[in-house]
Amino acid sequence: MLLQLDKITKSYGTVTANREVDFSLRAGEIHALVGENGAGKTTLMRILYGMETPTSGSIAVQGEEKHFSSPTDAIRSKIGMVHQHFMLFPSFTVAENIVIGREPSKAVGFDRKEAAAQTEALARQYGMPVDPWQKVEDCSLGMQQRVEILKVLHQGAEIIILDEPTAVLTPLEVKELLVAIKALSAKGKSFILISHKLQEIMEVADRITVLRDGRVTGTVNAEDTNVEELSRLMVGRDLVEMIRETPNPGKTVLEVKGLTIRGGQLHPALNDVNLHVRAGEIVGIAGISGNGQSELLQAVSGLLNPDEGDVLLLGESMKGQSVRTIRERGMAHIPEDRYQWGVAKGASVMENGLMGHYRKYQRNGILRGSAIRKLVSGWVQQFGIKTGSIHTKAQNLSGGNLQKLIVARELAQNTPFLIAAEPTRGVDVGAMEIIHGELLKKRAEQGAILLVSSELTEILKLSDRILVMNEGRIVGELSAESATEQQISLLMAGGKAVG
Amino acid sequence: MDNLKNTARALLQPLMAIIVGLIAGAIAIAVVGGSVFETYGEMWKGAFGSFYFFTNTLSRATPIILIGLGVALAFRAGFFNMGSEGQMVLGALSAAVTAIYLPGPGWLRLIAALVAGIVAGGLWSALAGWLDAKFRMNLLITTLLLNYVAVLFAGYIVSYPLKDKSGSAAMAQTVMIDKAAWLPKLFPGMSLHAGFILAAAGAILLALFMRHTVGGYEVRMLGGNPLFAGYGGVKRGQMMIYSMLASGGFAGLAGAGEVLGTQYRYLDNALTAPSYAWSGIMATLLAGSNPLGTALAAVLLAALQTGGMGVERNTSVPLEVSSIIQAVLILFISARFTYSYFKKKKKKAGASNGPTV
Amino acid sequence: MDQLFDVSLFASTLRMVTPILLAALGGALCSRVGLFNVGLEGLILIGAFSAIVGNHLTGNVWLAVLFAIVCVSVFSALMAYMSIHLKANIIVVGISLNFLAAGLTTFSLRAIFNVKGAFYDKDMVGLPKWDIPLLKDIPWLGDVVSGHSPLVYLSIVLVFVLQYYLFKSVSGFRLLAAGENPTAARSLGIKVTRIQYGAILMCGVLCALAGAQLSLGQVTMFTEGMTAGRGFIALVATMLGQSSPLGVLGSSMLFGLMDALSTRLQGFAVPVHFTMMLPYLVTIVAMFFFKDKSYMQEARKANESSR
Repeated sequence: MLLQLDKITKSYGTVTANREVDFSLRAGEIHALVGENGAGKTTLMRILYGMETPTSGSIAVQGEEKHFSSPTDAIRSKIGMVHQHFMLFPSFTVAENIVIGREPSKAVGFDRKEAAAQTEALARQYGMPVDPWQKVEDCSLGMQQRVEILKVLHQGAEIIILDEPTAVLTPLEVKELLVAIKALSAKGKSFILISHKLQEIMEVADRITVLRDGRVTGTVNAEDTNVEELSRLMVGRDLVEMIRETPNPGKTVLEVKGLTIRGGQLHPALNDVNLHVRAGEIVGIAGISGNGQSELLQAVSGLLNPDEGDVLLLGESMKGQSVRTIRERGMAHIPEDRYQWGVAKGASVMENGLMGHYRKYQRNGILRGSAIRKLVSGWVQQFGIKTGSIHTKAQNLSGGNLQKLIVARELAQNTPFLIAAEPTRGVDVGAMEIIHGELLKKRAEQGAILLVSSELTEILKLSDRILVMNEGRIVGELSAESATEQQISLLMAGGKAVG
Repeated sequence: MDNLKNTARALLQPLMAIIVGLIAGAIAIAVVGGSVFETYGEMWKGAFGSFYFFTNTLSRATPIILIGLGVALAFRAGFFNMGSEGQMVLGALSAAVTAIYLPGPGWLRLIAALVAGIVAGGLWSALAGWLDAKFRMNLLITTLLLNYVAVLFAGYIVSYPLKDKSGSAAMAQTVMIDKAAWLPKLFPGMSLHAGFILAAAGAILLALFMRHTVGGYEVRMLGGNPLFAGYGGVKRGQMMIYSMLASGGFAGLAGAGEVLGTQYRYLDNALTAPSYAWSGIMATLLAGSNPLGTALAAVLLAALQTGGMGVERNTSVPLEVSSIIQAVLILFISARFTYSYFKKKKKKAGASNGPTV
Repeated sequence: MDQLFDVSLFASTLRMVTPILLAALGGALCSRVGLFNVGLEGLILIGAFSAIVGNHLTGNVWLAVLFAIVCVSVFSALMAYMSIHLKANIIVVGISLNFLAAGLTTFSLRAIFNVKGAFYDKDMVGLPKWDIPLLKDIPWLGDVVSGHSPLVYLSIVLVFVLQYYLFKSVSGFRLLAAGENPTAARSLGIKVTRIQYGAILMCGVLCALAGAQLSLGQVTMFTEGMTAGRGFIALVATMLGQSSPLGVLGSSMLFGLMDALSTRLQGFAVPVHFTMMLPYLVTIVAMFFFKDKSYMQEARKANESSR
């Protein structure tokens, strides 16, 4: 056995992220680690990579027990990790990013020519072509991933951990990646592949270990299992199929006309985007993140001024209007990144809940304290938000509870139009079901919802119409009944090869 | 429960910093060969030893409170306004000029002079806010540099065009303000003037404003996370100019108060030499931008300063020992030992933290 | 104008620029590792004062400079410990350090020399003036470039050393990496904290030299608050120079020239108030042409999700 994790337990105070987890890896094997968000996959891998120390349990590499206190120790034991959020230096070149940590040098100088030569040799050896002199910020995400893998190989890794490697890739890039992984494993490298995309796992993995709530619920050979069995192991029960009423769209609430924002590196951030959302309708925008969705949302909500085009809310132009005005005219907004846009971490639950409402809960500029307390307490009960009190600081709430607070706040605006961006990112299944239910309820009440999500399953589950974005454009529209994951994936890739 | 714990924790930090500051002061005293207890005794007497000294301390605290309140407001909104000195000086100059040259009854000139001080300080400060909001010129640095410009400009005005030529001494100062436009003294024979009432009222009003009004809420959220505030409809550029306007207004009022209540003229260096402005900023840092806390901290700093004078009068220890205590106090409160200790215990992994002011 | 822009103006520019340049180089190092060092002003002040103290105690100007370096290092280490280790807001720490420097120097001036305001000793020897062989014989240029204190030449040499270090050496490359993406650098086993400490300490050394030049370079004396905002001007020079040593050299030269011009203009019939205003006004105008990092980026960094 190349690698053996034995009864790993990790707890943070009262929370246990991993409970007696056993995991093993053979040489040349691709072993997938699957589980829902928050199941403890990433924690386990951070322990293996020396970024966390386990509360108890042991790690052995080639039969030898190891204690990693930093990534350096793990790298020395020939373990490499490609993180979900790439650990790259955007303004550095590809070669610089690959050799960093073990740079070739001439006297005290950094020999950049030698670095490029090493990069090219490595790229040839493993059949992953890159341009060593290109800046990483100018590379496509697929190319950046390749740089990450080459970096790990340059470190001499034999065990490579890939954390959600396909999350930001186009379907074509995903295919290429899976092929590359197989080729590398044929050359003797071993992989631990973290994912929650079961189809991909089934395609490439030799063995699969499932985590749920920090425990291993099963380790199976890929040949002996199927997607259904895996999802049962992951979730612990069969998921209830949600009942969707047939849509009954009314008048147009939001209309986006020819919206263009320049200033992308390779292409405009937004390129002539046209769309509309009607009352009683959920329009889903699918796409790999970073293809203009953020810019679209910021332009619609008034945070960013478009270079061209117009946004009409209830038939009125919102061009050049402030966020405040647009909100007052009838917009609510669940932001894509709750920590960046959705809360002030140091403020209380109540103060965070008040945002966007405070102009209604005032008299002559004085806030109406008791009315506000009643409002926010109501949400805490209705949505089951776990918090000490409404005076607790937002930073003490878990991600899921914070998200519920944001959703409650924005739904309570009771506006005809709602933006829901990544409404369930990083929340557990329970919170996800509550949030999905609320969105569908809003739709039944003739609300118009613009849903943006990088999770295809979420898009397919909630949307009445699906628009696909690629490189700042809307590249296709599909109706909910006829759309398949296959079709959307193809459109997401833009129909052309990237990287 | 939560509130109680928070208050206790909030009080613990300044207390620890004060202790560390006093220890540092004790070391300094010992180094110059003074007796620690005797010196601290003299310091206490110099600050609070009699009603006269007590009111003297409050009198010194008056401009420090006002400046501290202005800085606290700006800090709370996330803007490092370091320009109180220039704002105060321009406020003082405008108040003096208004009180001297405006025709009309004394009470009217007094009020007009106070307003002129607020407006001048506010506009000077808003200029820096505007430069940042419009041209992204770092506010911390522009406000600092504008201090020099304002102080030199005021110095020029009283050295050349508006110089008092009646006196024999060649002081750079304006002529005396007519007695009718003076701020009244609170007690006969004491230096404490009505400006203290304004400062105390200002502290209470600002505290209420921050806690209970829409504007205060917007300011706090903007300081907490500007992206969140923007997303919720707070207009950052506008808020920046308004809060800087108010912040500078407080500093301008501080300057006006000193001119109308203590100096009765604009005298070059009279306001910059005691470094009221920097004490005000220190008070704000000490109190973590809490308005009432800022007022208390301002009194504490003023006591250290007047106490230092007592030390100077009655012992061989120089009065600068108080500046050491003040500086160490500030330095150590910025670290928030207890706070970071709690935080580290809570989550070791999370390496993110916003401004702690 | 012949009288204004003469040899001695440019010679004094070179002298005036040195404190700003040295401190700005320190600021650039800090900013390259992601630390906005507002404490330059205080560090220079401590450097200036301790250089005088060192000179007074040892009578040797080189030991005095060394003494200044040691003293300032204590304070920059304190600053590093508070901002990196205790995670205090670096801006607040910087501001506090400036207060501490002002208070401590004023107190020590009383405690050590028993004077108020300024200390001057006519027997004290300042930094020597070096004549550069060959160069000094070139007309005009020789008069401008030759005959300065060694720190003036050292500062110019340091510009090139730092330029090489940052952009050509392995260690400099890692420093840049630590500043550009600390999380990624840490994941590669690069000791980010150690690099940040190193940058602040090095910045302290540079500020000590800046202070020494200020108090021992021209007239050998110390006055309270003699830095007069030079630390902040250096900060602007850092920003204008985009934190690259060569860029910092250029922007510092501009401010040095203004500093020299301001002193020089006092001989003309302009009120001293306006000539003294010049460096600050020029700095503000210069800031107009340099766009600060937008608050959006700052806020994003501060509110990064803790996933």
